Amino acid sequence: MLLDIFDPKAAPRAIVIDLGTTNSIVAYVRDGSPAALVTCDGAALLPSVVHYADNGATLVGRAAKAQLTRDPARTIASVKRFMGRDAKDPETKRLGAQKFATPRSDEEARSVRFDVGRSVPITPVEVSAEILKSLKQSAVDQLRGVGGAVITVPAYFDDAQRQATKDAGRLAGLEVLRLLNEPTAAALAYGLEQKQNGVFAVYDLGGGTFDITILRLEDGVFQVKASGGDSALGGDDMDRAIAEGLLEQMGAVDPRPPEVVALALSAARELKHALTDATEASIELPAKGGASIQAKLTRPQLDALIQPLLERTGKACRRALRDAGIEAKALDGVILVGGSTKVPRVQSYVAELFGRAPRCELDPELVVAYGAALQADLLTRDDSEVLLLDVLPLSLGIETMGGGVDKILPRNTTIPTGARATFTTYADNQTGFELHVVQGERELAADCRSLARFSLRGIPPMPAGMARLEVELSVDENSLLKVSARETTTGISQEIAVQPSYGLTDDDVERMLIEALDFGEEDLERRRLVETRVEGERLVLATNKGLATDADLLDAAERAAVEQALAALKGAIASATSASPVQAAIDGLDQATHDWAGRRMNRAVAQAIAGKNVVDIEKSVENATGVDVHVARHRGETA
Amino acid sequence: MTSPFEVLGVPVLFALDEGELEKRHRDLSKALHPDRYAGRPSSERREALSRAITVNEAFRQLRDPISRAEALLAQLGQGVSETNQPKPPPALLMQVMEQREALSLARRAGDRAKVESIAAHASGRADEAAERMADAFSEDPIPVEQVLQLLGELRYLRRLKEEAGAALDEL
Repeated sequence: MLLDIFDPKAAPRAIVIDLGTTNSIVAYVRDGSPAALVTCDGAALLPSVVHYADNGATLVGRAAKAQLTRDPARTIASVKRFMGRDAKDPETKRLGAQKFATPRSDEEARSVRFDVGRSVPITPVEVSAEILKSLKQSAVDQLRGVGGAVITVPAYFDDAQRQATKDAGRLAGLEVLRLLNEPTAAALAYGLEQKQNGVFAVYDLGGGTFDITILRLEDGVFQVKASGGDSALGGDDMDRAIAEGLLEQMGAVDPRPPEVVALALSAARELKHALTDATEASIELPAKGGASIQAKLTRPQLDALIQPLLERTGKACRRALRDAGIEAKALDGVILVGGSTKVPRVQSYVAELFGRAPRCELDPELVVAYGAALQADLLTRDDSEVLLLDVLPLSLGIETMGGGVDKILPRNTTIPTGARATFTTYADNQTGFELHVVQGERELAADCRSLARFSLRGIPPMPAGMARLEVELSVDENSLLKVSARETTTGISQEIAVQPSYGLTDDDVERMLIEALDFGEEDLERRRLVETRVEGERLVLATNKGLATDADLLDAAERAAVEQALAALKGAIASATSASPVQAAIDGLDQATHDWAGRRMNRAVAQAIAGKNVVDIEKSVENATGVDVHVARHRGETA
Repeated sequence: MTSPFEVLGVPVLFALDEGELEKRHRDLSKALHPDRYAGRPSSERREALSRAITVNEAFRQLRDPISRAEALLAQLGQGVSETNQPKPPPALLMQVMEQREALSLARRAGDRAKVESIAAHASGRADEAAERMADAFSEDPIPVEQVLQLLGELRYLRRLKEEAGAALDEL
């Protein structure tokens, strides 16, 4: 075995985590190639199952999976399906063996909670954090240091689901550098290997989520044209369809004991896996009255059971193609991703849908982690020619009077993006605004996902329609939303408290973090110091690189200030025993480089379009007169 | 406010080449996307984020014929406002109304082919209106009334296309 030589001065490496519904993976880039790390189970795939044992211990992976049929109420599988979902979510009504806690307040109802026999019910964020912690530990053991993490998410995850994933990362003590869309990551793994330009479809059917992404690869840019999907559709639903039949054969009647449901689901999974190669499979199951039955399933039976699920994916695919403005036959290739695409009928269905054989040369279970590892590596480079341009998966809007939705940012808008919208008062002397931000495609706000409600108060009394509230939505590269608002007539610019409709508040996460530390896992201040140091080291590196290429954009005094701030930061990193002096030095360097950074950005833009005369872009329309001329004339006339 | 044409550094024209526009957007994204500033100070990352947002907004505006026409009108000092509204020709309104009725019938009957043909028809009509829009913008002086009429036409056709798309989602 070849061991990496440990360099104590090397910056800790970024890792990537594919936090899957069924299995999770931690990977990184070694010598330019992606590699999966061995998890606590001794393999690359860690079952995404968490068991809360009687004695207070928490098991993750294969050991937890073994408890699924023995102690189903204390064992949580497929937690990804519950991320960012509230206590009333349809997912809680589907066939499963978990025990949900009844919320004691509206606040608690904002998140699903599992009753695992502990004093407090557990949220999906906490369950996911256990999986992430285990993977982080594997990485720390093997790489000696972890410098932040890229976590992959389904492209069709909405803001609440993404936020929940990020919170889980924080709770696991990870600095989440980026949430990366799974299909885009997979495309990167394929694209870099093939070096082929064109338009591709990525059909990603996992354990619990389905994504379809249409993207174009050109000049090293992976530009997503459209994405669609269903974040509650996957292999789990195939298992449920099979298990319903098994439960009938077992003679299990409502209310079915969780142990029996768990057994049927586990048998269903086994049958499904066996039918990947075989055309017929059977399994022994206990039946009513102590008897046992031999449950049989054939390939055609499985195909028929999953057909309705496949048709739902087909619908999403057709919509994505329509959104992208491309026909299936014009695609250059279709890529299969996700464990569920191993089911033979899924492959033949995709082939029929797109009129071509899909590609699956890369392991559909590892390809996302590999692609994400490549992206994490790209994040550390300045000279990369490769860029991922993703889109907003679901439209963002604001509820209007009467319960409709004013769509401010439509789905498939390239991110990062932002938009402003102006609202006005509808009643005389109205002194406050209530705003409701929603995400989704439905026409009524009540049918969309509620993201946040907020209110602006203290507007002076004015006639209706006089006060103007400007709302700004901005979506970052992770598809995470930020909302700000101000009243423009009076100039009242008020900080607005956005109350998230789902999931945990920042305070919740902070409290959970502190509680977790009370168990003696890690010292909070020490962790903060480590994190701040890593950030500081990254900054030193970035600033040195900047000085090597763009020092000419600084005058002598500025240069001296930058050098001084840089030296101060290096000193703080070397000597600090707490985070605050390092943070102060980081802020100092940030300030010293601020104007310079703007100039460097201008230079980057100039270089990006250098040598390309604006005339190049002009379509050769004969005798075309540009509006420029008219504008000039218009101004001339009024002057 | 900087115009989207300025942001992308393209000529103030309706007849922009889509391929070239996309290339410009890719090049600017390579220079400004937040992923390019991953290791930089937070204020620099914020700045890059806000510039990337501006570029993407400008691209979204210019790629779409309706918002591109609106941006051009704004440059001409003829911005669409409460008093300066697009007015589609009455004949088109009638046609769109008929198509809408046909659409809701086809939707109820579950006639996928018919819905698809309505969507295709709306698409074709919109492309054709966009061509007439390009012609109008190349005239001197620009016939603002005609542009507004075409803009109204495009908006109605867009809505019809969206409705047909929504119907297809359900079928």
